[in-house]
Parts: sequence; structure tokens; C-alpha cells
Amino acid sequence: MAVIKNKVMTAQEAVSRFVQDGDHLVIGNYTVGTCAALVFEVIRQQRKGLTLYSQSGVFDVEVLVAGGCVDRLVTTYVYRAGGKEGGSAVERAIKAGTLEMEDYTNFQYNARMVAGMHGFSFMQVLEGAMVTDLFKKRSFMGEEKYKVITCPYTGRQILTVPAANPDVCIVHVQRADKFGNAQYWGALGSVASASLASKRIVVSCEEIVEHDIIQSSPHLTLIPGYRVDAVVEAPWGAHPTEVLGYYNLDRMMYAMFFLSDMTGDGLKVWMDEWVYGCTDRHAYLDHYMAKHGAEMLDAIRAKSYFSAPANYGSAYTSCWDNDNLERTMGITLEEMEKILEDRGLLNG
Amino acid sequence: MAKKYTLDELLIITAAREIRDGENIILGVGLPTTAGAMAKALHAPNATLMMESGIIDFRPLVPPNHIADANSCRGFSYATDLFSAFTMTYRGYVDVCFLGVAQIDKFGNVNTTVIGDYHNPKMRLPGSGGAPDFLSYAKRTILTMRGGEFVNKLDYLTSPGFLDGGDSRDKSGLFPPGSGPAMLLTTKGIFRFDEKTKEIYLSKVHPGVGVDRIRKDVPWDLKIAHDLSETDRPSDAEIDFVRRFAPTEVVGRKLMYELGLSNAFKKAQARGKM
Repeated sequence: MAVIKNKVMTAQEAVSRFVQDGDHLVIGNYTVGTCAALVFEVIRQQRKGLTLYSQSGVFDVEVLVAGGCVDRLVTTYVYRAGGKEGGSAVERAIKAGTLEMEDYTNFQYNARMVAGMHGFSFMQVLEGAMVTDLFKKRSFMGEEKYKVITCPYTGRQILTVPAANPDVCIVHVQRADKFGNAQYWGALGSVASASLASKRIVVSCEEIVEHDIIQSSPHLTLIPGYRVDAVVEAPWGAHPTEVLGYYNLDRMMYAMFFLSDMTGDGLKVWMDEWVYGCTDRHAYLDHYMAKHGAEMLDAIRAKSYFSAPANYGSAYTSCWDNDNLERTMGITLEEMEKILEDRGLLNG
Repeated sequence: MAKKYTLDELLIITAAREIRDGENIILGVGLPTTAGAMAKALHAPNATLMMESGIIDFRPLVPPNHIADANSCRGFSYATDLFSAFTMTYRGYVDVCFLGVAQIDKFGNVNTTVIGDYHNPKMRLPGSGGAPDFLSYAKRTILTMRGGEFVNKLDYLTSPGFLDGGDSRDKSGLFPPGSGPAMLLTTKGIFRFDEKTKEIYLSKVHPGVGVDRIRKDVPWDLKIAHDLSETDRPSDAEIDFVRRFAPTEVVGRKLMYELGLSNAFKKAQARGKM
């Protein structure tokens, strides 16, 4: 019998085993539920030379770029702290010449992941972008950023993007079981495609639940267990971003982060305190509560609004009824065996 | 004394033994699902059983009526769609699939579409279903043939086996290296494919079946394994599981209809309706 590996591990072990220098790394989450615990661990372990994919690069991209982990960035959106007077880690890195960036639209970026998820080598995208500078101005992808082909059915010119199959996806979800079946609900964004397009998948979750919970709600599973390499239990693992059903965006913490992000020095101080200064998510939470009080977390803890349960039941789960009679033939196992014997249907 | 078994039990259990722990398996209805259920219950508890309708990681409790039968299990791990079930096969995440065969040729190419002329059929069969894509991209395919036939030339090529044999499948560049049919299971024996020539050969015969009877079914000079032996007999635990899980498959369709109808008749009589 095959040895079944235990997928449940700490963020430290998961990142050390599955995220390597030079990887194409994709942030599975889109805007909400950012896998902050895993992102911070990547920075603490000082991964270098990453090509980073993020559907909407805000918090996650800023700290990874500022942490010196990223050489190349593929995204659709760059955050800017403090308007004209402010800036961002991405802008500072582009100016310093330490970061190359490729711009896509939200749809095109997601189309690359969908193509990758399904094993296709490219995907048709919306052709209007051909007149824009997204199409004309290209960075490290050059010719490979877009290609135009002729539709074999209509003869029209079609814009395409190449599939993306990142080496590793890090993603935060509400819950998972120990086999890696990962359940996520709320804004679906590009969570499923970013995860499934990737070669390795590291899942962090608010809680690890019994397999039975997953089995009775398979429609919530976005990533099947057989695709997942590591499962990390990380309560408050997306803080200061929000996780539906667990906690809201921490507006105070988020604002403090972006104030710091206006300058490189400011962001360095913030990261010294919250990323490098905390060995893991528990230390981060301890530090947060010591500094701001546990009531700050209580104030953003979600109240319950449960989804109506879906009934996965069926009429019976055995071919034999309560009287041990086979449901179609109306006979017991012993009677069935006797008939098989009498009819000469048994061998050996 | 070891338990006696029916031919269907032998086939199901032989197929089940091809499944290894930890593998991802696409199952069709009938023999494959019972084989999958047995494997998961007895020797492959960590196998991920899948149906192409998008039911992923299920444990069958009763034999499914069709490939979208979520009533046959008690929940499952991942609800996806048919499209994604196929593309995950395309990407190499399916280790084993099972397919039924109506016609098979020397190199494991399969017809499940039509007997006779396509436009003027002698017998119109179900067609492709998922078969061509699964035989193309699953790592191993277990073929089963119960009413079908060996032919020199298929009336219709539904699913690609080893094409013209030798390295022609790999050379086509269309399929993952090493993929293709791994085994053909019939009511008389077990066939496998020569590593080099990819020609089908008889690997084992079921107890009580003579090689001559099998030769008669094959319109070419069938190759026989030099270490030809009898199909391994099922264990009592395997027989017990299969009999409890799928009694109606064990007795076979004919007997199931006979006993089922007589049961329905008896019940109607008891209610004074007949």
C-alpha cells in the first residue's frame, strides 16, 4: 500500500518545501482573503527571483516586492498609497530598475489561468484590447504577451494570451480537510483557476475540518485534495484582509499599512514590526493583541449568517433493506447464494 | 474451503486488483464502479474515485445507475463539471480509466459506435461517450469486453489504442508517452499488450477456459504469453464485498430481471392488486 503523506504542516514547512527561489508564484486569492500568513512566510524565508502573479496586486504584491522577493510581476492593478504624494513598493522598484512588470487586463490575466487550468496552450480574449497600449507596450514577455490569430470558423482576427502554469500557488480559504480538499466561498474571483493552473498548491485555511464536513458540501470545494501539496491551519491567516464568515477587513490595520507604504522607509519599519518581527501568525496575533487589544479583533469577528444546507441524502445507502432483503430481488444473501449454486453459476 | 464465485465476480475482482492505492480513477457504470468500490474498501483506501459528470472523490455505497449518480454515495469531496473532469484527464491527473469494448483490433483500438456501415448500420451502438478522450489521456486504460468481438479491421475507430502498433501511438505526438490500453478483460481471459510491438496477447485464462476456445474468437494468429497461467482466484473477502455491494451485478442481468420481476409480482399480489 502506498505511503500516504501527511499534508498538514506549518506555514514555515510548507513554504520551505514548496516555494523555491526563481519560481513563478501565483497568489490564489483575488482582493479578499489574501493569503497573508503564507506571503509573510515567503518574505521571512527570503525567497528570491520570483515571477509573481497576482490578479489584483495590492497588499500581497507590495510586501513581496518590498521584501526583495520579486524580479518580475504579472498583474492588472497596482496600488498607490497616498495619491500623488505617495507611492508604492511596485513603483519604487520599477524606478529603481529592480522590477519588471507586465500589464494585463483582469480578464486577460484570468484567461491565462483558465487556459493553464484546463491544459490549453492559449486562450481567446476580447479583441478590443488590440488598439490599446496594453497590446503595444510589452515588457519581459515581448512577443509572447499576446498573439493574434485568424479564427478558422469566422475568418476574424482574434486576440489570444498564452496559458499560465505557475510553479506554485499560495492560497487562503475558509476551510479544508487534512487531505487538502479546500473550500472557499464568497467572491470567487479567479481563485479556482489560479490554484488549479499551478503545478504545486499550498493551501492555508481558517480551520481544518473533518472530512465529513467537506463530503456533505462538495459544491464549496474549489481545490480537490489530490491536487494539494500542503495544508496549513492559519486562523486569521488573511488578516488584515477579510475572510467571509470569519472576520472583516481590519480598516485600522489596513490604513496603517498604507500610510507606511507611502515611502520605502515607512514600509520597511512596518515590515520590520509585522513581518520580520513575528516568527509566525501566532506571534503576529499575539503582537497585534498586545498592541491594539483583543477587542479590536472581536470587533471585526463575523456574526453567523449560515448558508441553507443542501441535502446530499438519498433513499438508501445499501442494496439490502432493513429485513436484509435485496431491494430489487427481495431475497436474502443466503437465498441468493443458493440460487447461484442451484443454477450452476458458481465456479472454483 | 475457499468460496465459489460467479464469472461476473471474477471479472469485477480482477479489474479491482488493477487499482493501486493513492491513484485517481475515472469510473464508468457497472463493472468499473463495483471494482472501484471494492478497491477502495479493501486495498486502495486512498484512491480518488471520479465520475466524468464531475463527481470527484466518492465512495460508492450502492452501484450507480449512471455516471451522474450522486445518489449512489453519501456526499463526495469535490463537485466540478464535465469539462473540467476531461481537462484534468488531459493534464495527466487521471491514472486509470475503465472502458467497455464492442470491437477491438490487434493493437487495442476500440469501436463502440457502430457495427457495419456507419451510414447504414447493422447495429448502432452507444457511441463515444467519454471513451476517446479517456483512452487518449488517462495513464492506463483497462478495457472490458463481454459481448464484443476481436476484428482485423474495426468498422469504426471510436477510441485510439496503439494505432498501427510499435511506437506509432507515441510517435503521433498526440498522446502522453506511455499511455494507452493496459489490459483487456474478457469473459474468457486477460489480455495485455507487448511492450515493443504493442500487439495484444493472451496473458491469463480464466479457470476452466481452454486456449483453443479463445483462439477461435480471434481472427489472427493470437500470441500467447510464454508464462500463460490461470487468472488468480478471488479471495473470500473480495467475493463477500462484491456480493454485498452489488448483488444484482453478481447474479447477472438475466437472473436479476427474473428474480426482480417475480419479487414485484409477489409484492403486488400481497397488496391484492393482481
